[in-house]
Amino acid sequence: MIDGPLLWYLNRGTGFVILGLFTVTTALGILATGGRAGRGVPRFVSQSLHRNLALVSVALLGAHVATAVADSYVDIRWWQALVPWAGSTYQPLWLGLGTLALDLVLVVALTSLVRTRLGHRSWRAVHLLAYAGWAAAMAHTLGIGTDVRADAAWADLTVAACAALVAAAVVLRLGRLALPAGSRA
Amino acid sequence: MTARLRVDWPSCRARGLCHELLPELVDLDEWGYPVVGGEVTPDLLADARAAVRMCPRLALRLVAARPV
Amino acid sequence: MTAPPVRASDAPDVQEGPALLAGLADGPGLAAHRRRYGELPRPGLDDLLGALARLRVRGRGGAGFPFETKLRTAAAGRRPVLVVNLSEGEPASAKDTALALTRPHLVLDGAVAVARELGARELHVVVPTERPRAAASMRAALDERPERLRAVVHTADARFVAGQARAVLELMAGRPNLPVTSWQPEAVAGHRGRPTLLSNAETWAQVGRLVLVGERRYAALGSPDEPGTTLLTLSGSRPRVREVPFGTPWCDVLPADWAGRPVLLGGFHGSWVPWDALAAGTVSVDSMRAAGTPLGAGVLICPDEPPAAFTARVVGYLAAQSAGRCGPCRHGLPALAAAVDAGADDRAAELAGLVTGRGACAHPDGTARLVRSLLALRAGVRAGVSS
Repeated sequence: MIDGPLLWYLNRGTGFVILGLFTVTTALGILATGGRAGRGVPRFVSQSLHRNLALVSVALLGAHVATAVADSYVDIRWWQALVPWAGSTYQPLWLGLGTLALDLVLVVALTSLVRTRLGHRSWRAVHLLAYAGWAAAMAHTLGIGTDVRADAAWADLTVAACAALVAAAVVLRLGRLALPAGSRA
Repeated sequence: MTARLRVDWPSCRARGLCHELLPELVDLDEWGYPVVGGEVTPDLLADARAAVRMCPRLALRLVAARPV
Repeated sequence: MTAPPVRASDAPDVQEGPALLAGLADGPGLAAHRRRYGELPRPGLDDLLGALARLRVRGRGGAGFPFETKLRTAAAGRRPVLVVNLSEGEPASAKDTALALTRPHLVLDGAVAVARELGARELHVVVPTERPRAAASMRAALDERPERLRAVVHTADARFVAGQARAVLELMAGRPNLPVTSWQPEAVAGHRGRPTLLSNAETWAQVGRLVLVGERRYAALGSPDEPGTTLLTLSGSRPRVREVPFGTPWCDVLPADWAGRPVLLGGFHGSWVPWDALAAGTVSVDSMRAAGTPLGAGVLICPDEPPAAFTARVVGYLAAQSAGRCGPCRHGLPALAAAVDAGADDRAAELAGLVTGRGACAHPDGTARLVRSLLALRAGVRAGVSS
């Protein structure tokens, strides 16, 4: 176990970065799929971006979790980072949400890696859990995030911007669905 | 192996990635659905495999070419 | 829903025939059937395959696929399933209905004989919704059978594509009765991945008759290249079902009041044939196919209205009958209907090419064939070829 605030700052830093990354990943997933091939960015570009961003996010999530477990400032054992609400003493509710988010993200990521073997319908059913994973991550941030609780402006703004981005993406996607087929790009 | 591309039509939603990745063999009709050309030659095989992998609906398959 | 240009009949005028339709006065019961034909022999699989190959027995569902090949494929697999397709999705056809009403045990004898050779324990029968008398007659016939064979009856939707092979398999699996992509022939892997011998009711009746009367008597009718007979439906206010030996000249078959007018051969997915071309030919799968106007399921329509108007109505109906699962069909057929209606021949030809081969089933292909044949008929007329 390492003393000093380095791991703590790394944990908090990665936390916000991956919140942003997962938000953009989710927004891309909402917007870059659906509808026809058309003008603008080629579909395979936006989908590759979605995929690569997701992979980067997962990698950083690994760092976020590792720093939380390794840091002696908070008592989080490694299994409490994998199983939600497995008896941690540090902020159990909000930590559990974070663990839940991790589990959901892992399931989504792993099934996506073996997508061609799963078949489209099963893969898609699991992939929708990404929404739940993102929501759990947002709740985790709001509840456990030191900077959010301290009402740091940048922290609040980041969280608000993430929420707005996904909400806007959902609205746009729903709006696209409501249009008659002929006018869709 | 001589191969060709086959579309699983009920799954296809005209997303168009196959055309983006393999314009030599896949055109899009006026409604955005793929028009698959002829045989997949060895030089196009890698791109064809990428197109199969990247289809968001997994609606594209590489199958053995029918003997003439 | 658009009504079909020709309504499906549940009470066709069935005429006495030389083979399948012999002895109609006996009635459809099993006892009378056995009195006429005797007990169902067991020919042995190899002998049966040999006879089917020599007699070139082909499917009567429209594609004309060699039955021997299908049977051989299914026999090579494990736990095969047999399906009798009596759904007759083509409204203008009534031959399968005729068999259900008058000769159900010929159909079932064919299926049972093959089931025995394959060791199949399961027989599925698909009956239509919109022809309840035929369905009832088939069910009654199944009840009469003494064989310990598990028979499952499925009712196909009242839809044009409901009788398509994969759509039937979907129905049997408890899913919507609509086509899906077929990655392997159903004789290789069909119902639950098992080899599935799915054939038209008339095909089974032909096989049944072959087993009952033997190769020599079967080949006594027809031509050397195409032995046997086939059922035709002549459309009209009440459709007539006639059995004719292969090789019969068309002029012996066609009604007199059709003379001089183009005939739609093969049903809604068929082709227009000018009168002179048809009257010069014979009832033959091979020669009709070679002429580019396949016999299909033996449906002949000679509508009161001109070919263009009738075709426009048919294409409109077929567009409405699309399962809507495949983009090119869902978008292309309505566009094709509009083009035919407007007389836009170039656009119609372009669309016909665009929808062919781009669907899970042959619905767009058949519709395109109909349109192309109309265009060819018109081109022929313009060139002064024939009426």
